[in-house]
Amino acid sequence: MKITSIRHVSGFDVARPVSIGMMLGIMLPLVLLPLLSIFVYGFGKGPGVFWSSLVAPEAVFALKLSMVTSFWATAFNVLFGLFAAYVLSRHDFWGRNAVIVTISLPTAIPTAVAGFALLLLWGKYGMIGRYFSENQQIMFTPYAIILANIFVTFPLAFGVIKPVFDTMSRSLEEASATIGATRWQTFWHVTLPSLRGAIVSGALLTFARAVGEFGSTILVSGNLAGRTQTAPLYIFAKFNEGQIEAANAIAIVLALLSFVIFSVLFFARDWLEFAQEA
Amino acid sequence: MIAKMALTPDRDPHVSWAPEREQSSGIAASVRGVSKRFKKSRVLEDISFDVAEGESLVLLGASGSGKTTILRIIAGLEQPDSGRVILHGKDVTDLPARERGVGVIFQAYALFPRMTVEKNIAYGLKIRRRPRKERRETVDRLIKLVQLEQHRKKYPSQLSGGQQQRVAIARTLAYKPQVLLFDEPFGALDAQTRVHLRREIRALLRQVKVPSVFITHDQEEALELGDRIAVLNDGRLEQIGTPDDVYNHPATEFVATFLGAANLLIGVAVGGFVEIGTAKLPAEKETRRFRDGQSVKLVFRPEDVCVSQDANLPEGCRRLTNGVIEEVNFVGAYERLTVRLDLTHRKGDTDALYEVTINTPQRMTGVPIMVTRPKPEANALRYKTGDRVAIGLTSFSVLPNYTLARQR
Ligand SMILES: Nc1ncnc2c1ncn2[C@@H]1O[C@H](COP(=O)(O)OP(=O)(O)OP(=O)(O)O)[C@@H](O)[C@H]1O
Ligand SMILES: [Mg+2]
Repeated sequence: MKITSIRHVSGFDVARPVSIGMMLGIMLPLVLLPLLSIFVYGFGKGPGVFWSSLVAPEAVFALKLSMVTSFWATAFNVLFGLFAAYVLSRHDFWGRNAVIVTISLPTAIPTAVAGFALLLLWGKYGMIGRYFSENQQIMFTPYAIILANIFVTFPLAFGVIKPVFDTMSRSLEEASATIGATRWQTFWHVTLPSLRGAIVSGALLTFARAVGEFGSTILVSGNLAGRTQTAPLYIFAKFNEGQIEAANAIAIVLALLSFVIFSVLFFARDWLEFAQEA
Repeated sequence: MIAKMALTPDRDPHVSWAPEREQSSGIAASVRGVSKRFKKSRVLEDISFDVAEGESLVLLGASGSGKTTILRIIAGLEQPDSGRVILHGKDVTDLPARERGVGVIFQAYALFPRMTVEKNIAYGLKIRRRPRKERRETVDRLIKLVQLEQHRKKYPSQLSGGQQQRVAIARTLAYKPQVLLFDEPFGALDAQTRVHLRREIRALLRQVKVPSVFITHDQEEALELGDRIAVLNDGRLEQIGTPDDVYNHPATEFVATFLGAANLLIGVAVGGFVEIGTAKLPAEKETRRFRDGQSVKLVFRPEDVCVSQDANLPEGCRRLTNGVIEEVNFVGAYERLTVRLDLTHRKGDTDALYEVTINTPQRMTGVPIMVTRPKPEANALRYKTGDRVAIGLTSFSVLPNYTLARQR
């Protein structure tokens, strides 16, 4: 009789608790404790300190700026991703694959490089920026942050939406056409509803990534407190100034926001997948 | 034509869902000389046929013969390389699908997954911006017509295959289609449901009076659904006619063998007879169009063979030859016999104008044919292997023998 079969008969498998324990043991110092420490320190001096750090004008501004710039970058990338996915899955043209690769490229580029590249293009002496007058300059304004966010999150929504387009049955759209719908009506009433799940998850991914963006933002924004300082930059700045509580309060907000977004993505998967199967 | 689509109030339950027209030429749809190739392969070759008002036409053909392509060309989802499509007298070849007003019932029904049954049915009217009241009335009547009253708020994924199909039909009827096109409507269903549903659809179509084109590769389905059947073979139209025509008077060997089982013997037409080896079958009428000595194919169905143990064949049965029973099988509703015919060359008759071994790889004495007999007849007189019988035919077709030319 083999050892394994004895274990099965006894109903207790040592490998199970050991392997689970080992997995959690590895995760603890690497992932769980860092997250936990934010909350431990954040509330360490009591909720009063946390609250006052949170409502400090610069902190509120940084959070708002992050939300607003991420929102516009998300809106743009979802719309563009939708449009690009439509074009690339419906039309075949010379160089199509090259375009697909190019769209996907920004994720592979280090964010600092992305920020630097934007400066070279839009900066005061950049290829395009040099033609703008002094008070038209884009760099070191919130628009620069939006541009950086668009660049680094460019392929995320596209990457989620494109496969759904590819697998969507053409006969739905053909049925709509034979029933008498125009292209636009078909897109609005038939295609778009089937993409709902992909659009929502693409938007959430893009937003989450944009809110946390640091490397490119710090280069193009100028990191001016109360003007172009986003939440991650605020954390970095306050930490450098030694104001740990101020940094921590914002860190907690950003961490919670990510939890919420990823919980939605994770637990709403059934709904999203149903949305995509159509 | 969309503007003319006034929906009349419910006068009687048998209201027609066909579009109203001023004059009626009797032809609802017509395909004229349509050819189509995809890249290098020729998919359709000079296809022409008409669908009469209120008629149901079945396109029958093997997989890949181009049936779906014809349908898509009529619907405007595919452009023909040459030829025209005419719907109710109007050339629509250059119109996009949405302006043709045809109803397509796709193979998997293609219902909109995010719309309820009601919304699916109302879609065509919504697109046409019909008033809400009219939409509601039309949907109510159609839901009643296809008997889905209890399911009107459901989504397509919550319906059975047959129910989905009825939604698909109702969805097209809502905008009074010029013609209904069904692509293998029963392909996704089990055998029992298929039979049940095709009777239902047949009844429904009689009621709504919309001309329709069905696609199938199932000969039984074709015979039951079609007022007429068009048999397609490899992109060519082999024959078009009533079920009786194509079944009992096949124009080509392909039609004969595709629609049910057929026996095939090669012979020569000589003086009002078909000569096959030693056999001589009287066929005055059938051989009239052949010249003496022309090579012909004799095609007959297993059920058109009469078998007798003495020389007295029943009335109306023309004597072919004798044979030996080789095999007896009971196949459910009927009995199937394999009979080997005596068709050997006469001694010294070396000048063979016929090839009697066409159906068998082995050059044996004689040719096996398949014979079926209904159960009562089989029970009344049983045959066993080795019995010698006389063989006659009640009905058969004589076709020109082009085989060699065709094969190229
Ligand atoms: N879009 C296309 N591009 C290239 N070839 C095509 C295209 N559509 C159809 N074909 C080819 O045309 C031929 C006929 O196709 P079609 O779909 O009309 O056949 P069918 O009779 O409907 O077959 P089935 O019974 O399998 O549905 C096939 O050989 C198919 O490969
Ligand atoms: Mg097909």
